[in-house]
Amino acid sequence: MLLKLSFSSMRKRFKDYLVLLFGLTISIAIFYMFETLAQNKTFIEANGMISSIVFVFHVGTFILGAITIFYIFYATSFMLTLRQKEMGMYMTLGAKKHKITQLMFFETFFIGLISLLVGLIVGFGLAKGIAELFMWQLDFNGEGFQAFYLSSIITTVIFYVILFLLTSIVNAWKISRKSVLSLLHAEQKQDFVKTKGSKTFFGVLFAIILIGIGYYAMINIAKLMQAGVILAAVTIIIGTYLIFIAFLPYFVKKLKQNRTLNEKGINSFTLGQLRFRMLNLTKVLGTVAMLVALGLGAMTAGISFYHNIEKQASAFHANDVIIHQPSKEDTEALAEMNVTEKNVYHYKIDDQGIYFLKKDLTDNPPLIKYSKETFELPETTRVSQALPKDKYVLGQNDNIASLPEFWTTAISMEINASYQQFGAKDVYVYGSAGYQEIDATEQQVILATVDDFTDYLPQLKTINTNQLKLAETYREETVENIGTKYSNYVAFKAVASGTIFMGFFLGVAFLMMMASVLMFKLLSSAAADTHRYSMLRKIGVRKSLLVKSIYRELFLLFLFPALVGLVHVIVGMQMFSFIIIEPYTKIWIPISIFIIIYGIYYWVTVQMYKRIVLPKEV
Amino acid sequence: MMNQTVVNVKDIHKVFGKRSENQYHALNGVTFDIKAGEFVGIMGPSGAGKTTLLNVISTLDKPTDGTIEIAGTNITSMKQRQLADFRSEQLGFIFQDFNLLENLTIYENIALPLSLQGVPSRKIKPSVVEVAKKLGIETILEKYPVTVSGGQKQRAAAARALVHEPAIILADEPTGALDSKSAKSLMEAMVHLNENHDVSIMMVTHDPLSASYCERILFIHDGALYKEIHRNGSRSEFHHQILDVLADFAE
Repeated sequence: MLLKLSFSSMRKRFKDYLVLLFGLTISIAIFYMFETLAQNKTFIEANGMISSIVFVFHVGTFILGAITIFYIFYATSFMLTLRQKEMGMYMTLGAKKHKITQLMFFETFFIGLISLLVGLIVGFGLAKGIAELFMWQLDFNGEGFQAFYLSSIITTVIFYVILFLLTSIVNAWKISRKSVLSLLHAEQKQDFVKTKGSKTFFGVLFAIILIGIGYYAMINIAKLMQAGVILAAVTIIIGTYLIFIAFLPYFVKKLKQNRTLNEKGINSFTLGQLRFRMLNLTKVLGTVAMLVALGLGAMTAGISFYHNIEKQASAFHANDVIIHQPSKEDTEALAEMNVTEKNVYHYKIDDQGIYFLKKDLTDNPPLIKYSKETFELPETTRVSQALPKDKYVLGQNDNIASLPEFWTTAISMEINASYQQFGAKDVYVYGSAGYQEIDATEQQVILATVDDFTDYLPQLKTINTNQLKLAETYREETVENIGTKYSNYVAFKAVASGTIFMGFFLGVAFLMMMASVLMFKLLSSAAADTHRYSMLRKIGVRKSLLVKSIYRELFLLFLFPALVGLVHVIVGMQMFSFIIIEPYTKIWIPISIFIIIYGIYYWVTVQMYKRIVLPKEV
Repeated sequence: MMNQTVVNVKDIHKVFGKRSENQYHALNGVTFDIKAGEFVGIMGPSGAGKTTLLNVISTLDKPTDGTIEIAGTNITSMKQRQLADFRSEQLGFIFQDFNLLENLTIYENIALPLSLQGVPSRKIKPSVVEVAKKLGIETILEKYPVTVSGGQKQRAAAARALVHEPAIILADEPTGALDSKSAKSLMEAMVHLNENHDVSIMMVTHDPLSASYCERILFIHDGALYKEIHRNGSRSEFHHQILDVLADFAE
């Protein structure tokens, strides 16, 4: 009988339950979506640029899991507030306490299971849709990615069933501890928290110290490695929550104490509302800040990987173009480019070795990349070492002098007289006399730099294809990479698009989670605000002023977590500085994407909130 | 001053429901005046139309027919936006459930109508303190509504209704949620405001004791004016007079 009653009343409050179901479903869908990537080890390892990418995903799962636990506990306690008055009614009518406890347990669990089912389906759809969109955008085949991934389904189900069991027990336990009267009057009770000065001070201090440690760990990630990632994750999460728990309420309180500001128009109400809300929203705002940081961070990392490709490719090569034994097609392609420097070197090649003419090299010494310290970024310099002897060899040889360091770099890297290009051959530099004696056809190699490497990808591809064919004639096998700047670029790009794909995938997942968290929280508390707005309307506040107040209040609520999240991202990008040469290149792209999504989301929330709280006019 | 009319209600009707459906006539041609400085009570059994009458006078609802003038302005033809401004300037409200904003201090609650009218901050404080003194709540100004008693909340609501010097205060069952002692002291405070500060008050109530503080009482029955009585003698005599009229309803 009670079960029947509870179902019918759940149907009646369908709108409230829809909010709850929506919130839970999104959470489950995103968790599942994340896990389809995180657990697909073969895909991650095949497509990630970082060896520890699997570990990064484990940390991501941990963070998402932690946030989800917060979120689910909050959502189910919202359900308790929806139901407690009615449960109190049943009890006054004579229902036994253990019956009510049971009912609460099953209701929570039932809602959980429904959302789990729907969430998995939505998650599958999202994973598939978003993956396909990005793969298409990035021209990335994404082999091995599966939107329907069994192990992820199992993990999601286990994780959420345990979570729902726990929250059902908590809800049942909470309701069993309350008296009938407190249940009946639950809606009238107001919780009011006051921030004490000393507590605030220590809270803020502690938050700053924790975030400081986290930032330090992220900046020095090269030294601290995985321990640093864990340290940063833990300290920054706690620090962020503390900022919102201790500092923000204090900040709004200070704003309110400014009389001229507070007593202007409807400000006192807006600020009062904000302050009131802040105390209940601290955890949610902290969560949103973390999600903004994660989502934006993932996208920023993805985009910097993309823009890093060219920089990475040019770390080893000072020259953009290298053409051995140029064909007509090659020279035509070269002519289409805006060449800034061009050098031609002659050499002879036979079965045993490659012989370079010293005069060519010393007359026009090539540019090379050179780094003084092992971990420093190589800089472009021109070879200036003298070559006084007649004959040099690359590497060690008892009879002939070894080629000096810079020349070795020039010939093996820039001129690419390497195994990749020519197979196993010795490389010599001969003076004119010695060079003349070599009985082999003379060849030439062109080195050139251009104004913008990425502008000439089609021409470079033509040249590269010809060079590959040349390498195949020498090596008598299929060659895919000859180690030039262009082939490095192509190889890096192939790998990076996997990472970018993951970055965007995760970024979208986290931003959507954020959207759902904020929306859920605002909608679930909006009904309680209705009477305040109707009262203001009664005493004669213009509707336009109320609307303005809503816009402002929600703007500030959206602004704080966005700012904190943004700072986290900007510092957090340091984590990638050991694999990305300039992590901040084009950071405005992900930031603008984020601002647009966030802005739209803010606007939608305001509209929905307005619809709930503003009284209907006669 | 005494003879000026603050509220002039002329033949107002209020019909709920569409023509095709079951119509309900909440008000059937009510006509009366309230003079400046008067303390008028509206009484009547449940469903008589008290709340509807209050709602149309307070501009929260529109009458189906008839005109209402407050402080010389015809409010029945005004637009929503004008009505909001009119309410914030000319009317002061006291509700049964206080309707204080619990996220603001008592001081901020009282100051709100002034802030909304764009009164500069330095002028707000003296006005708030003055009106708080009149109602004896100057010591609780920095507290939040949840931390004070019901009687204090209602005094705060009265202070908020009064602070911007409206033409009339409209009170809807102001003692309804108060214990008898708080109710008595609130009514005494209202009489004090009315007698010493010339505040015009219209109060809807069904508590005869609270009503006995008024100078004049209009009884409404089935949407029409049923009887009007004036206080001539002492308050307890007036109380008995009210009880007699209410007894008539029972028959």
